[in-house]
Amino acid sequence: MSKFLIVFKREYAQVVKKKSFVVGLILTPVLMLAFVLLPALLAHMKADGTERLAIIDQTERSIGNQFAESLNEYKLTDDEDTPYYSVEQVYTINPGDSVRFRAVEESLREQINDKNLKYFLVLRQDADLVDSSMYIVTNSDNFRSLRRFERKLSDLMASVRLEMSDINLSVDSALTLTRSIDLVVRDTKGESMPFLTKYFSALVFVMVLFGTILGYGQLVMRSVIEEKNSRIMEVMISSVSPFQLMMGKVIGLGAATLTQVAVWFAMGAGLFLLRSSFDIDPSIDRIVFNPAIIVFFVLYLVSGYLLFSTLFALLGSIVTSDKEAQSLVAPITMLLILPVILGIAVVQEPNSLMARVLSLIPFTAPTMMMMRLVFVAPTLSEYSLFSGIVGEALLGFLLVVAAFAGMVWLTSKVFRIGILMYGKRATLPEIIKWLKY
Amino acid sequence: MLLTLDNICKSFGDTVAVNNLSLQVPEGVIYGIIGPNGAGKTTTIRMIMNITIPDAGRVLIDGQPATPDFRNRVGYLPEERGLYKKMTVTEVLVYMAQLKGCSAQAAQSQVDPWLERMGLFDYRSKKVEELSKGMQQKLQFISTILHDPDLVILDELFSGLDPLNIEIIKDILLELKRNGKTILFSTHVMEQAEKLCDHVCMISRGRKVIDGSMTEVKAQFGRNSVQIEIEGNGHFLRELSGVLHVTEFNNYLELELAEGVDSNEILKQVVERVAVRRFTQLEPSLYNIFIEMAQVEQPGSDMSGGGDSV
Repeated sequence: MSKFLIVFKREYAQVVKKKSFVVGLILTPVLMLAFVLLPALLAHMKADGTERLAIIDQTERSIGNQFAESLNEYKLTDDEDTPYYSVEQVYTINPGDSVRFRAVEESLREQINDKNLKYFLVLRQDADLVDSSMYIVTNSDNFRSLRRFERKLSDLMASVRLEMSDINLSVDSALTLTRSIDLVVRDTKGESMPFLTKYFSALVFVMVLFGTILGYGQLVMRSVIEEKNSRIMEVMISSVSPFQLMMGKVIGLGAATLTQVAVWFAMGAGLFLLRSSFDIDPSIDRIVFNPAIIVFFVLYLVSGYLLFSTLFALLGSIVTSDKEAQSLVAPITMLLILPVILGIAVVQEPNSLMARVLSLIPFTAPTMMMMRLVFVAPTLSEYSLFSGIVGEALLGFLLVVAAFAGMVWLTSKVFRIGILMYGKRATLPEIIKWLKY
Repeated sequence: MLLTLDNICKSFGDTVAVNNLSLQVPEGVIYGIIGPNGAGKTTTIRMIMNITIPDAGRVLIDGQPATPDFRNRVGYLPEERGLYKKMTVTEVLVYMAQLKGCSAQAAQSQVDPWLERMGLFDYRSKKVEELSKGMQQKLQFISTILHDPDLVILDELFSGLDPLNIEIIKDILLELKRNGKTILFSTHVMEQAEKLCDHVCMISRGRKVIDGSMTEVKAQFGRNSVQIEIEGNGHFLRELSGVLHVTEFNNYLELELAEGVDSNEILKQVVERVAVRRFTQLEPSLYNIFIEMAQVEQPGSDMSGGGDSV
């Protein structure tokens, strides 16, 4: 067995055996799950009065009226007759009359902003054929209601579409064959996802990424410092090359990180399979179960960890104590936490120049790109390796990998000398001198 | 394994730590590098271990520059000791042996016999940090030789060990030597070097001042002197012909004789005058040679630290 593997195995075992590892393994997904489920639970408790809505119907089958009628089954409380929803008005607008349509839509938007209305549903001309021709506008995040609308519309559309087709099948049995439609939800600004949802999802992703990279990166640093302080380094260096030792540590602890992520994924997959049994906000669904976001989360976690842990190995080799290291850790933490600090700015313009540049600089890329990915939340049709957010994310990832390679070179130069310096912190001129060996 | 140092030099800034040092460690001997503190012993050993890179000169193993494989054939106990504190005694021994190229099974099978021999068997499942400092020293010594190295390098081996453990370790070293292993150790405690070494090399201020087998060195520095313990007054000893110098100690006297003087003649003369309890022909001790050489090297400097540790 190569010596790298021996070091790797020990470093891995040392972390995985720790109680804190198991705690983090369980606690993080529990917190994330709480984040996903808590709004659902809160929404169930929330019933602060009848919700008013309006409908713009441009179809020729008066789907709007049928929909309004179907909402009557929902009551505010089980034993009372107060309806949960009150449809204030159904505007039937001729498909050709775009002037009136715009005027009505504008006034409804204002009513929502004034809180006179909670929702308005728009059924464009061909809504009976194409799902994306209907959307709902609201500033509310009560996705329990949104889910109800979605269900009712699905049923309604299924039967309308069946009637239109010539299939000789009873309506009831065909219904079970139809899938539920994906109702597009917009806020009054035209954004398709509520701000808070995006912001908090992005924050959760970034914090998990940040915490994992920083936590495990610092473990690498501590492990180096411990070996320096316990004077074991000299024995180690007489058995393995400094490079083997350094990479064994970095990759060994990295494997522990991956173990953690793999367990989270297994939990996530379980959640994915179970998701139909509880109400998950559709927009959270679009973020948490977005393949692009998941893939890049793993890529950035791995590459970001490798880059930063190698940097931390370098720091560990030039300082003499944990305390001394802390002053150097602070600026690194800043690099990673930058997207959170700039969060509001990024939210408003995820494709601004600043956000783009920061998401391509290797040290800020992992968290910044993750933040942007969540904000843009690309749909499958937007996936392209050479353009758009997915293309940029790929480029950012490659840059992080390149930076990691450079960091390995730099660290291997400094490491082999730094680890044997006791009692004195290396100065910058000294380190530059070491690079020339 | 034949170890050769060929004109190695190392400076740290303005300080010359090792200056043009050449030496050859023959196979199957116990080789002592002795010298005062700061003489360059540790720097020399670190250069042999490729931890410090010489500014000039070469380190040769069997006549060839060291290959990475060399690491596996050496057991190294550095002056600065340390082990993984959170690992258990057995774990740490197996890990260190694995890093020297042993398989886990082979290492495991060696652990218990060694622990037993060093009196650590009952601690085999304890964490290293739970052991006393002396025990950790013994543990580190085991980890140095567990992988059965051809060359054992021990930097200030005996510091921090009690006499009982020193004896155990001496026995082990002699056993290793019988098995054809080469042992190189550094110390500033002359008595230990004298009891153990076949070959000594004394360095001072980075340069070699004595190098040779123990008998050669003693012959080179040999003086004709005797130790004598008598009853009564020994004043007359100074007047005896052939006696150059008398040093009085609490219970005995040391007489330095002129070259070619037979000590038996002296004994006859003394027996005629007083009762003799003890009469010993003296070899120069390494300690005396050390003091003498060190004073030549560093005139006026305080060398009292040379032999006080025992």
